[in-house]
This record gives sequence, structure tokens and C-alpha cells, in this order.
Amino acid sequence: MQEQHIVTAFDRDLEAIQSNIMKMGGLVEAAMTGSATALDDRDVDLAEQVRADDKKIDALEVLINEDCARLIALRAPMASDLRTVLSVMKIAGALERVGDYAKNLAKRSVLLLGSTRIDGAEGSLLRMIKEVESMLGDVLNAYVAGDSDLAETVRLRDHTVDQMYNGLFREILTHMMEDPRNISTCMHLHFIAKNVERMGDHVTNIAEQVIYAVNGELPEDPRPKGNIAVADGQ
Amino acid sequence: MTAHSTKKHGSLLVKDARTQRRNNAELRFRAYGLTAVIVGILALIVLLVSIFSNGISAFQQTKLMITLELPEAKLDQKGQRDLDVMKKVTTIGYSKVLGNGLIDQLDRLGIATDLKDKDVREILSKESAATLRDVVLADPSLIGTTVTMEFLVNGRIDGYFKGRVDRASAELDKNVKPGQLDIADALTEHGLMYTQFNLDFILAPDASDQRPEAAGLGVAILGSIYMMLVVLFVALPVGVAASIYLEEFAPKNRLTDVIEVNISNLAAVPSIVYGILGLAIFINMAQFNQSSPLVGGLVLTLMTLPRIIIPARAALKSVPPSIRDAALGVGASRMQTVFHHVLPLAAPGILTGVIIGLGQALGETAPLLLIGMVAFVREYPAAFTADAGLFGEASTALPVQVFNWTQRADPAFVERASGAIIVLLVFLLIMNALAIFLRRRYERRW
Amino acid sequence: MTDLPIKISARNVDVFYGAIHAIKSVNVEIADKMVTSFIGPSGCGKSTFLRCINRMNDTIDVCRVTGDILIDAEDIYDRRVDPVQLRAKVGMVFQKPNPFPKSIYDNVAYGPKIHGMARNKTDLDEIVEKSLRRAALWDEAKDRLQEPGTGLSGGQQQRLCIARAVATEPEVLLMDEPCSALDPIATAQIEQLIDELRSSYSVVIVTHSMAQASRVSDRTAFFHLGELVEYGDTSHIFTNPSDKRTESYITGRIG
Repeated sequence: MQEQHIVTAFDRDLEAIQSNIMKMGGLVEAAMTGSATALDDRDVDLAEQVRADDKKIDALEVLINEDCARLIALRAPMASDLRTVLSVMKIAGALERVGDYAKNLAKRSVLLLGSTRIDGAEGSLLRMIKEVESMLGDVLNAYVAGDSDLAETVRLRDHTVDQMYNGLFREILTHMMEDPRNISTCMHLHFIAKNVERMGDHVTNIAEQVIYAVNGELPEDPRPKGNIAVADGQ
Repeated sequence: MTAHSTKKHGSLLVKDARTQRRNNAELRFRAYGLTAVIVGILALIVLLVSIFSNGISAFQQTKLMITLELPEAKLDQKGQRDLDVMKKVTTIGYSKVLGNGLIDQLDRLGIATDLKDKDVREILSKESAATLRDVVLADPSLIGTTVTMEFLVNGRIDGYFKGRVDRASAELDKNVKPGQLDIADALTEHGLMYTQFNLDFILAPDASDQRPEAAGLGVAILGSIYMMLVVLFVALPVGVAASIYLEEFAPKNRLTDVIEVNISNLAAVPSIVYGILGLAIFINMAQFNQSSPLVGGLVLTLMTLPRIIIPARAALKSVPPSIRDAALGVGASRMQTVFHHVLPLAAPGILTGVIIGLGQALGETAPLLLIGMVAFVREYPAAFTADAGLFGEASTALPVQVFNWTQRADPAFVERASGAIIVLLVFLLIMNALAIFLRRRYERRW
Repeated sequence: MTDLPIKISARNVDVFYGAIHAIKSVNVEIADKMVTSFIGPSGCGKSTFLRCINRMNDTIDVCRVTGDILIDAEDIYDRRVDPVQLRAKVGMVFQKPNPFPKSIYDNVAYGPKIHGMARNKTDLDEIVEKSLRRAALWDEAKDRLQEPGTGLSGGQQQRLCIARAVATEPEVLLMDEPCSALDPIATAQIEQLIDELRSSYSVVIVTHSMAQASRVSDRTAFFHLGELVEYGDTSHIFTNPSDKRTESYITGRIG
């Protein structure tokens, strides 16, 4: 980020927290990949693995919050340091939520075991997960590099995710209307899609926190809300 | 964390070689310092002992009580008690009357001696005839009566009572004869010759070479006091004003730097230079009376000024700047700041400096010699006379008196000089005590 | 920034100590009834600038001030201005508590006395009580008004100095690191006092403690190497400073 602090222990503390965030980000990414693969392959073991790994994510969040509290108390961070610490806490919270959704996805993929595949919808869903995953990867990169421009592009990409969700919503609706036997599966797929959309929102929050930490201000223009159309359509 | 702590040093219970060397060096240094202090104290003790052993006896004086007739035939032949006529009888006449009185007294007491009458008379001080004359002229009615009076004895006889003269040395001394000592012993047995406290030493004026027993410090003390008054009333306001101006108001530029350096230099200028200055300015140019305490005081003022200014500035400087800031901060002017806050805090320091400066001035001899204060002054100078003015008549000063006496031949003057030094030291001691008292009394903390 | 009336306005102020250029073209507008803090590293000129506002720098021979400092739109460096009068209007509290070595009463009464603010003893008593109350020292000092001011504790001494400063009814109160010699409790008491003084005076405080600046002030000015680097709302300066140098200083980085 910037030059070093005069008190280098301050830098060490900050770095320790940041590295924990990166570790947490890596775990969340892995959870998303794992849950997507588990869904695609109907892999129960992998799904269990994802659910088990979520505990590590939760533990890391607790650790990060404690470290932040300690840093605030002991080092009285100011300006960019203060923003970094504040954003770290929020990012950790958001990552934890994303991790929870990934765990939920893994849980549902177990429930989908044995049901018929609805290839079109599932394909769209996997593409959507891929998109959110790539957004998460990018926002973590933006965080590490302190790159608010990259974070801003991630934030705008949430619009794409919302549109994908809207498309998927219609597709699932169509499948349910075609064949009521699909309803149960489709409901699960819709919940998963809704969760992935929420993941996207959290990733967008992270992007906003990155922008705040770097620029000192939250982005001014409101985030484009793609799913208003859905509310209208219902 | 390791279970045991790291250990790089040896046991603390054993001194290593380096520490030992350091401690030894410190011990040696302390020993040097202590030695220096002891040498200093010894020197002081030797000085004080020699001065006191020589000088304390100056405060004692041997006197002789004589009962004698004052024959009208000798002292006032016309019997009119006319003072102008009586004054024509000189001390020589009185000396004979007195000498006869003494010889008669010896006869009355049955003290036999084989000395000539002249030698018997010489037991008395040459001053005593003058004393008698003064008494008679003051009260002419005494003539024709028999009076009993105290008279000073000769310096050698006085020395005999003080242990300075003994029979062995009297044999060799042409100024005193062993027979005189026999008479002195006999008179002492009759209680007529005795040694008593010598108030005249402090009050009487100086006396000539021949009469050390009559010499006193009165004029010198008075002269010194006059001069100290001049120094106090001139040097104190001028010095304090100068130091306040320099310290608080003067701009800091090259000119004030030069002044500052010069003040320091002036403090180190040999005092005799001030004497030359005083001679040139006050006597040659301003035409003040030579040897007058006013001139002496002014010369000493010149000498003392830098010695007052330097400690006064130091005292002003030592007042913390925060006090000045505080006063200026509430809107005091610079003058109010100085007089309400700075000066009261600096006063003890300034006073100490002034008193020490006065002490130095009191002990100063060299410049006074140059302006003629070394003169022999027999009479008390009048404090004010029409033609001489205030402090105008010739005077002398304590240290000059010491200088004068040490040059005289008679060993009795050594005793007088040491006595004068004791008086000088007492004055200095009083002034220093006053300085300490004032500092203690007015010192404030902040 | 809010639009309170401007009390002090500095325009292109430069200060030289001999050949040293201590303050470089400072422009700043200080609002009335607000606490403004000056922060910056040692030797950055913040105290120097503060001492320009009541012309305490006049006492330093080599110090030269150019530019205009206006209080209520009057140039205080105008030829006609007497610094003594100015200092009654602009009070000052110093880094080290510096009560006069006199009684508590005399400390407070000194300013009003020399400015002829009291007609009689009753007036003076009133002023002393009012000032001590305003400095939150009355309850502690009322029974010992005749005791020396130097006998108080450090924090009390500093409050006495504040009482002494407010006794002359100033409009501006300058404080040069008023808490740097005090313990945390005394510091907190002074900070509370500053917060109360805000309603009556325009307070300008120089401080080394950024935490203190952030706690007490509405606006903060950051000085660096004689320049006014940044001036703005305290909350803004401490969360999102605009200038890189401010950021480095506030976050404790080498810069």
C-alpha cells in the first residue's frame, strides 16, 4: 500500500490481518468452486467437504474481528489505516456470508441427488456461479493491489449477475409450468440461484469496501439494480 | 519461549576488572578533590590563626592610672583661664607636668627605680600629654586641682603586657629599658596599670609613627562607610537599570554584543586601572577633592558596576521565560512584566550580587592609593562643610589603613594592621551574611 | 465546512526567524465559537503561527512577520495596533502551566487589574470568581484563594492559567499544547473545559496529540515544514485526508 509506519509492529499487525483476509478469501473461493462441482457432479463427498470447511471460514472471521478490535484498541489507527481496519471487518463479514451461501449450496446439491437434471437451467446456474466466483477473485485481487478501478468494474458486474438471475428465474418458471414434477427440483435450483445472486451482492459490498478503503469515500452513484424487473414481473 | 533466561554476563556478586579499574579511578579522583579542599581549609586556618594571633590584641590596650596635680604656674601662668592664652602651652609643657605627676606617684607608692626621670616619663605614650591637654582645655577649671586619669602607655610597655616584649628583648631594644618594665610590674601590682578593652581602636583616628598605641580605625571605618554609601546609591540603581535594560529591552544586535563583551572584560580589568581613570576624571577633570570619600566611592562604583551588572543579568536570565510569557499573555506591557513579575523574582539574586560587589569594593586598595586616599588623616572628616561639600574632606579607608600600617616600622603597628584586617573581615562577614539572609528570605520557587 | 462567522483570517502570512523561513504563505480562516486545532510534526511552525495571532513573536527580535492577520476584519499587524491591547482580546495558555508565583487570587486578578477592568474590590472579587468558575476551578480553589498558585497540582495550575486568560474577557483563546505536561485525568478535565469554552470563545489549540485534536476540535489544520498543508473539518482530516503528507503524518508513516 504506502510507505511503512514508523512503528513497524503496526505494519506487522496490519499485514497479519490482511493475510488472514486473503486466506479467508481463498477458502471462500475454494468453497464456491467445491459447491459448484458438487452440484454439477452430484458429488456428496465433496459437498460434505465444503460444509466441513465452512467452519474454518467462520473461525477465521472471528479471528479477524478480534485482531481488528485489538488493533483499534492498541494502535488507534487513523485515516487510511482506520479505513483499512473498518473495511477489513466488513469484508470479513461479507466473506463469511458468501461462505455460508456456498455451504447452503453444497447442502442443496445433496438434496438434488437422484432428481432429474434440468440441463439448461443448471448450465445457466453454473455459469452464474462461475461469474460470481470470478468477481470474488477479482475483488480480492483489487483489495490486495488497492486497485479501486478494478473494484469498480467488479461492482458494475453485479448487474450482469442480476440479469443472469432474472433469466434463470424465467427459465425455472418455464420448467415448472411445463412439468409440475420438476417443481421440487426447480424450487431447489431457484433457492440456489437466489443464494448465488446474494453472493454477488456481498461480493459487490466487498468491492465497495475496497473502494472506501482506497479512496476514503463510498461510490456515489447507486448500484444498478437488475432484479427490479423481477419484482415487476411477478 | 525458552525456559531459562539468556546469560551473557558473569556473576553480579563479583566485580570484573573493568569495573574495579573504574571504581579505583573514581576513588583516586575523590582523594584528589578532598586533598585540594583540605589544603584550602588549612591555608584558611593558617591565615585566620596568624591574623587573629597578631591582631586580636589590638582590641586590648594597656593603660596607666595617674593621680596628678595640674599646677597653674605651668599651665596658665596668667590665671585668667583664657583659652587662647592657654593654648600657647604645647604638649611639651603638659608632657612635663604629666611626667612629674608619674614620678610623684612612684614616690608616693614607694616604687624605687634607678632610671633617669626622662626614661620614667617615656613609660607613658607620647599621646598622653595631648590627651591631658585636651582634657584641660575642655575644662579649664581643673587647673590647680588634683585629678586622677587614665593614660595610654608606651607601645613597648603595652607590648610587654601583650607578650610582644620581654626583658631579654628589652635589653637589646633602645626604645625600652628593663627598668621601665620593673616599674610597669610594680604599678600593675598596685592595680594602677592594667589592660582593658580598647574602644579607641575602633573609634579613634590614626596616629603618627611614634605612637602606635594611640592609632585607631575610626576615620578609616567612617571613610569606608561613606564610600559604600556612595557605591550603593550610585552603583545599585545604575547597575540594576543597566542590566534590566540589557536583558529585557535592548535589541540583540552587534552593538549590544559589543557592550556585553565589554562588561565582562571590565569586570576583569585590574582595579588599579580604575584608580587611574578616577584620577583623570574625578580629580583632574571634575576637580573633586583629592582623598575624599566621594571620589573614592565613585571610583569604586566604576569598578563595582560590571560586577553588579553581570550577576544581576544572570539573575534576570534565570527567571523562567514562562513567567514573562504569562505576563505578556494576559496583556501586560514589557515594563509591567519586568517590574511586576521578573524583577521580584530576580531580586534575591540581584541583591546577592550587589552585596558581594560591595564586599569587593570594601576590600579594594589599589585604586584608592592612586586618588590619594593613602593620606595620613589625623582628624575626623566632617560629613558636610561649606567648602568641601558632602563627603568632601580627605579621608581614608579600611584596606588603605591596613596598607599604611604595614609599612610603618614599629612592630606595634603589625598588631594594629592585623586588628584592622579583623575589622574588615567582620564587615565582609556581616555583608555576606546579609546577602545569604536576603536570598533565603526572598527566594521563591516556581 | 459550515458557515460560522470568520473570527481570524490570515492571508499570505510568512514568518522569518532571521534567515529561516518558518511559515510559508499561510492562508487560513478561523471561525468564531469553534475549536480549531493545529497539528503537525515538531518544528513545523504551528506554535509560531499561533504566537503570531497575539503577536507574542514581537518579543523575539529576529522574528519578522509579513502578510495580514485579521481579527474581526482588523489587521493586527497594523501600525496603530498596540500588542498589549491585542493580548487582552486574544488570551493565551501555554504549554507548561506557568502561574505567577503569587496567590491564586492575584494570578486571576492580575489581568483585570492592569487593564483597569474592575472599579473596586467587589468588582475584582466577582471577576475572579467568574473566571475560576469558567475554568472549573472554583470549587477546588475557593477556600484557598490566598495560597500560592504554584502549590496547585499540574492540572489545576493549567486551569488556573485558563482562568487567568479568560479573566480579561478575551474573544479568542490560544492554547499552545496545554496538556503536554499533564496526566491523562488532568488532560481530560482540560479537554472538557475546552469543550465548554467553545460556546464563548474562538479557541485555537496547538497539540502534538492527534487524538486530542480529534477529540476537542471542530476543525483541524495540518502544518508541515512551515506550510499549511491541509485545513478542514476534523472528522474529514482524520478519516480521509486529501493530502498525502497529512495522511502519512496522521497514520504515523515516514513521510
